[in-house]
Amino acid sequence: MSVAPQAERTLKLPRREAAVEDARRFAELAVTYCTPECREAVTLAVCELGENLIKYSASSDELNVGTIGVSIEDGQVRVRAVNRVTSPEDAQRVTEIVQKMTVSDVKELYRARLQELFANPSLPRAQLGLLRMAFEGGFRLSCSFEAPQLQIVAERPCTGA
Amino acid sequence: MLAGQVTMGIKLGEKVSVETLTVELTRPTELTLSGTLSTPTAQTEFRRLLQDLHAQIVAARTATFEVNVEALSFVNSSAIRAFVDWISRAAHAGYTLAFKTSPTVTWHRLSFSVLKSLAPTTVEIVESRASGGAAS
Repeated sequence: MSVAPQAERTLKLPRREAAVEDARRFAELAVTYCTPECREAVTLAVCELGENLIKYSASSDELNVGTIGVSIEDGQVRVRAVNRVTSPEDAQRVTEIVQKMTVSDVKELYRARLQELFANPSLPRAQLGLLRMAFEGGFRLSCSFEAPQLQIVAERPCTGA
Repeated sequence: MLAGQVTMGIKLGEKVSVETLTVELTRPTELTLSGTLSTPTAQTEFRRLLQDLHAQIVAARTATFEVNVEALSFVNSSAIRAFVDWISRAAHAGYTLAFKTSPTVTWHRLSFSVLKSLAPTTVEIVESRASGGAAS
């Protein structure tokens, strides 16, 4: 499990649905001096990861579902989400998706997933968040799982920093 | 009801806000969306709105319905799913959805071209004039 960079800004995401909006504002403030493209990408990543934390984090008495960090270093912006997951199967599924994205054309993966949803409107989960981060946001994703903690890291160039 | 026109729960010219999302029926056959869509509450209301709107479009036998998203700066993936479902229903019902997009918004530029590929005869994309012309 990698450690947080020294300059990372971190948000502890509260256990409530409206917290995604908190995450969006956090993202906008964290990269306010970056290019519009970079700001859009980071906002997307923080919101998608934040929504996943709220949906899939282990239910417990803890007030927060996990943390999201944003850092900029050496022309790279890095978004890091850490949380405790309920099921190892969910963590395994995320790991497989991320691995698949590292060896495949992400646009084609995104299109294929939209095609599945188009053909099967009753599918319970959209599972588009990580694909959008890679396709629209231009992020490279990696993840690690040391039960019960799942960490997802998304990185991309940040030319405006 | 006049053929080709849509009436719905949202009145013509009335702005409805759900948290940071604003929805307005700007013309009988045009819906304008602006702001951001990220919370579960807004997602639920948005999906319900689109379902109601679909029923009205079918009832009015509208051939082409325009959706102006130029000022819709951010949506989460649940909203993309809602657009996919709407396109699927439109394809089955036989009407066209014409999305007015902004070339300066990354998610418009990238995701709507992929959405169009799902149903090329159902989806039209019209980029705003800032891009120097329209494309479909």
